[in-house]
Amino acid sequence: MKAIKAIYNFIVGDMVILVGVIITMLALALINFVGALSPLRIATGAILVVAVLVVLTATLYREIRG
Amino acid sequence: MQWAIATAAFLASAVEFVEAFTIVLVVGVTINWRSSLLGAFAAAATLAIIVATLGVALVKWVPINDFRLAVGIILILFGLKWLKKAILRYSGLKALHDEEAIFEETVAEIRARGETVAPRFQPFGVALSYKSVLLEGLEVAFIVITFGSSISTSVGGNGILSAAIGATVAGILVIAAGAIIQAPLSKVPENTLKFIVGIMLTSFGTFWAAEGFGYTWPLSDAFIPILIAIYLLASYILVSWLKQYKRRQLASAANASASTPEQEGVRP
Repeated sequence: MKAIKAIYNFIVGDMVILVGVIITMLALALINFVGALSPLRIATGAILVVAVLVVLTATLYREIRG
Repeated sequence: MQWAIATAAFLASAVEFVEAFTIVLVVGVTINWRSSLLGAFAAAATLAIIVATLGVALVKWVPINDFRLAVGIILILFGLKWLKKAILRYSGLKALHDEEAIFEETVAEIRARGETVAPRFQPFGVALSYKSVLLEGLEVAFIVITFGSSISTSVGGNGILSAAIGATVAGILVIAAGAIIQAPLSKVPENTLKFIVGIMLTSFGTFWAAEGFGYTWPLSDAFIPILIAIYLLASYILVSWLKQYKRRQLASAANASASTPEQEGVRP
């Protein structure tokens, strides 16, 4: 448990960033590997940029609220 | 030589080495320079071994798309972490990293342990110096490996070598500056460096993560400066928003404190 916490703190140390990036990657994986969502593939880059900005804003918002 | 990679590694290393140097300096001043430098060089050697072995192994054994995706995700995580801290410090919501305060604090801690200046190697001094350089340097080693090896796999050449050169030059400059000044390097604009590195890591991370999913960016590699511009603009907007938020908070706190005596005055 201590080792996992140390790795978490070393790589990110912020739950909002970690969860946000994981959700984004899962969404992009679905878009890119599920046939029905293939029309969205062209927007992969835009979705990723927007998601990164949303995650950054969310973690800053949590910081000023917390 | 990959200049973008070398520059990113240089800037990231400069920030981390300045932080590590403060502890190395404390050990040198309060215990002795032999222990301090032995610990620092041992940590630098450990980091070099990590970069050489892990970097080469990753480039050789991991398929390029999986590798880019993993590197992209790690760089986004690192980048957002650095960017968040830098934005909070720019907006005044988080105190700037104060090397002099850390120096004084660590000196007090070492003296409280009863450690004094000694002519011989002191295991505690070696360990403290080793730990600080290793911990600060690990993040740099990760950046060197991920950045460098991703370039090596995509455009060829030796990206790891470029990144390692950037990191080494930063290390040498910090040590030289520290040796001349013989004091914590408090004048280095750590937050600006952190901000630039955060922008670069996030931009390259975004670029490679999307490529890892098989996405082709418009204009190919030339889209990276556009990503940098997007993140710079967004950061500027976020800093302005946070500064406004802080001003509002201060104003409402001032109003609250001004209204309290009046309320007290009407009480019977």
